[in-house]
Amino acid sequence: MTEHQARKLASLTTPVLLIALLTAFVLLIGAFGDRSLGRMAAETLIRVTLVVGFWIFAGNSGVISFGHAAFACVGAYVSAWATLKPAMKSLLLPGLPDWVAQAEWHVLPAAVVAGVVAALVALLAGAAILRLSGIAASIASFAFLAMVNTIWSNWTPVTGGTSSVVGLARYVTPWVGLGWAAFAILVAAIYGASASGLALRATREDEVAASASGIDRYRHRLAAFTVSAFFCGVGGALMGHFIGVINPDGFYLSLTFLMLAMLVVGGIGSLSGAVVGVLVVSIAVEGLVRLEKGVTLGATQFALPAGSQEILIGLAMILVLIFRPAGLLAGRDLILPAAWVAGRAKTPK
Amino acid sequence: MKHLTLGAAIFAALATPVMADDITVGFAIAKSGWMEAYDTPAATAAKIRIDEINAAGGLLGKQIKWIEADTRTDRAEAAKAGLEMVDQGAQMMVVSCDYDFGSPAALVAEGEGMNSFFLCAEDVKAGIQGVGPNAFSASVLAPVQGATMAEWSYNKRAARKAYVLEDTFIEYNKGICTGFDWMFPRLEGAEIVGRDTFKNDDASIASQITRIKALPQEPDVIMLCSVMPGAAAAVRQIRAAGINSLILNGSAVDGSYWLDATPDLSGFVVPVQGSIYGDDPRPEVEAFNVAYEKATGARPASQYAYPGYVLIDLWAKAVERAGTVDGAAVTAELEKMKDEPTAFGPRSFSSELHHQNTALMQIIEITNGKPGRVDEWRISEPVPMDVLITK
Amino acid sequence: MTLQLLFDALSLGGIYAIAALGIALIFGVMKLVNFAHGQFIAFAVFALIVPSTDAVAVMGLGAAPALVLVPALLAVGAGLAVASEYLVFRPLRNASPVALMVASFALGVVIQNVLLVFYGGRPKAISLWPDLGKPVQLLGAEVPMLQIIVICAVLLVLALLALMLKRSRIGLEMRAAAEDFGMARLLGVRANAVIAGAFALSGALAATVALVLVAQTGVADVRMGGQIMLIAFIATVVGGMGSLPGAVAAGFAIGAASVALQAALPIEARPFRDAFLYGLVILVLLLRPQGLFASASAKPRV
Repeated sequence: MTEHQARKLASLTTPVLLIALLTAFVLLIGAFGDRSLGRMAAETLIRVTLVVGFWIFAGNSGVISFGHAAFACVGAYVSAWATLKPAMKSLLLPGLPDWVAQAEWHVLPAAVVAGVVAALVALLAGAAILRLSGIAASIASFAFLAMVNTIWSNWTPVTGGTSSVVGLARYVTPWVGLGWAAFAILVAAIYGASASGLALRATREDEVAASASGIDRYRHRLAAFTVSAFFCGVGGALMGHFIGVINPDGFYLSLTFLMLAMLVVGGIGSLSGAVVGVLVVSIAVEGLVRLEKGVTLGATQFALPAGSQEILIGLAMILVLIFRPAGLLAGRDLILPAAWVAGRAKTPK
Repeated sequence: MKHLTLGAAIFAALATPVMADDITVGFAIAKSGWMEAYDTPAATAAKIRIDEINAAGGLLGKQIKWIEADTRTDRAEAAKAGLEMVDQGAQMMVVSCDYDFGSPAALVAEGEGMNSFFLCAEDVKAGIQGVGPNAFSASVLAPVQGATMAEWSYNKRAARKAYVLEDTFIEYNKGICTGFDWMFPRLEGAEIVGRDTFKNDDASIASQITRIKALPQEPDVIMLCSVMPGAAAAVRQIRAAGINSLILNGSAVDGSYWLDATPDLSGFVVPVQGSIYGDDPRPEVEAFNVAYEKATGARPASQYAYPGYVLIDLWAKAVERAGTVDGAAVTAELEKMKDEPTAFGPRSFSSELHHQNTALMQIIEITNGKPGRVDEWRISEPVPMDVLITK
Repeated sequence: MTLQLLFDALSLGGIYAIAALGIALIFGVMKLVNFAHGQFIAFAVFALIVPSTDAVAVMGLGAAPALVLVPALLAVGAGLAVASEYLVFRPLRNASPVALMVASFALGVVIQNVLLVFYGGRPKAISLWPDLGKPVQLLGAEVPMLQIIVICAVLLVLALLALMLKRSRIGLEMRAAAEDFGMARLLGVRANAVIAGAFALSGALAATVALVLVAQTGVADVRMGGQIMLIAFIATVVGGMGSLPGAVAAGFAIGAASVALQAALPIEARPFRDAFLYGLVILVLLLRPQGLFASASAKPRV
């Protein structure tokens, strides 16, 4: 085996390791955690789906998009439209066309369609937004997010407007979340290793050199944007079916920044960074929330003052950025050593 | 030895979280984040009623015990708080004031077949039509507030020409306007002469005001469907522009804490469930205000403490009648309530509606910066179901 | 009517322009998109009142006479901004723009939650200069006194700032830094002083927005800076990142577009006003990707 082949093989171990990490996380919490920790695990895995989806575009292209929460919003509502009971829909969402109002799908095809519709929206929006470069593209994606939010908050007959839509089947267990997160990680790894993924990363490193080498930046960005939106759409649908209630406000600035923060804390440069960022931030938040509720240490009851969780997380984020500016993983991926992989590959011979 | 006793005490505290013969009410409410300011007063009122019931011998011969979890003004955390309450043995769930933030926890209760009460939700979906068959709210629906303003101002202030200014920020605002839009045009000779929208966080509503000023004649009343802080900002800008129409609003802007925004404000009217200003004609209301002050050190800042008191009152009565805390049985008893007397006026539930579609409301008017009760009003007919639903 | 609309557009656009300027100044010198600017505004608003979670606000600094209040509040804003520069952004001087942006967002979260802890989540009323709430006759239009003051204040701030940037040494250095920071440093511009100066100015501009907002609305809310920051942020880009006159012009343009849309749209479409506004922004960017007034440094060079 050549060294190149060994490296390529080794890079394929990344998704396997990440999925194993997440599986261990779910098993651990299943074995030792209470119901509320189980909820936290499911939520974390949904976030992995969202953030890995986000990474497919932002990580490979280096362009920060603020619009991905909008795809989650679209996905959540598409799944609600497809799965809610018709009686509920005629009550809450009287403006839906008949064939949608009558639909009562199974949750799995609904999640897939949620992703597909989000991807289509991304294809259309991206066709315009991605013509711009750098910060202008970021701002245009921001304007896109604000547009979607305004439309969703006011298109009352179809979206319920600012009023939450309730009654979504709450089927998202940690295992469902794990399934989608694993799928997202696989696709992200495959895309990253594909010709389009490599070309896109080339434009991230040096735009001018890449275009001089004949890379069509626009086309690859649009492809990544669309794939990326698929997983954000699915993640949004899962989020809706996790809480049982959706509202346009839940898919706006706070989600955008949560996703960004997780990505940056873990390190935007690598897929492992995205996954680790989600895990670290989610676990830290949960820990602080529990500290706020109070823990008994020896004979003393100790509790953080209410509201300190957000402050401490904010400070922690700033510290991570100062001391690990490229994120915790600093662009590296979790991989098995190439030599070891090569050795393994040889032994059967 | 000392350590041993301490350890034993901790163990005892952990091992018996809930006494078997208590009735446990779980509060999944915001104790941090911006909803906290709305949830805490109503939850405090609910606990006052619990203490009263316990002092009078309890419920079904048992003491009521309460436990609580923080929703952090976050939907996902609300669902978790609901689960935590169930795990700790809650038999009834009290959830956040607002429909949007309360429903995740209410859905958890619904999943367990438990009753849930919103602290003060005023959207019809915080009940059968949304959350499910065992969810209730003890407050008065937003459209009732809007309709009350329409009929009262027509009858008592000769309002004939109205202007509607709607803040599209939250569903509550839209509900107020829905009620007003339904009632006002039905009244003989009354007409809505114009309408406009704004957003709660608009830095300025100058162009909306310009549109009002362009009317051939100043409207008799302006129905302002908004909440804080946008409502105070809108009132300040309307008065600063020299528009002197009577301004109507919903219960959400009750309280005198915001009046500094428009010093010497006059001609501003809101409907409320009871007066916090010490001038309510019903002695029970003032007795509650005093009890609240004793418990917290201050009188209620707005009427939104009251629904918390009412909800425990109604639920306890239904439990007493059903002889159990089982969700379905208590729901059946609650649905039999027709003009059930409470300290804050009669309340009714039915198998179609777990809210108040009509209510006796106190009218509070602000004159020269001083709020006071001027009247009371009950709309001539309940707001019909199709108006409540097709907003 | 049309004259009235002009005043409306000027007063709304003026607020956006000052906020956009606050963001553009910092972007110009260190390529930081400062998401904490909205919280700088909220902080300055709350600095007017005594910290307490009670429903009724007690005026602290806000009770002082205007001659003391205005400079003091500007100093509060500037102080907060300089402190955040020193504690958060200086150690991040060489980080990527994305990391800077996320750090500023985290800072915003911290400031907002600190305000929540000290002041509670309930919006509060502030009676600042109540005498301004009277309409006056001007050129045949009845204009609220507030609006005139807002417009005058905005113009005054812009004039003072222009003067400072044109005439003082630090102003010259700031303009040079905004054009091309690397080159400016090579030519002897003091980086720390310029960046601290830009933050101080930006914080003072945030305090100005806070004062105008409070005078206009009479309320304080922890979430109040957010919407203005978003618009200002967009104005900064539409105006051409880093171009100071561009930010001002775009701020006024967005204010005017918002007022015009509110006036022209039919009632059914008016709740969607902001969707149209953001659509326009995307359109402008597509037609002029470098913004209306591109600064020389905005184009990546090879």
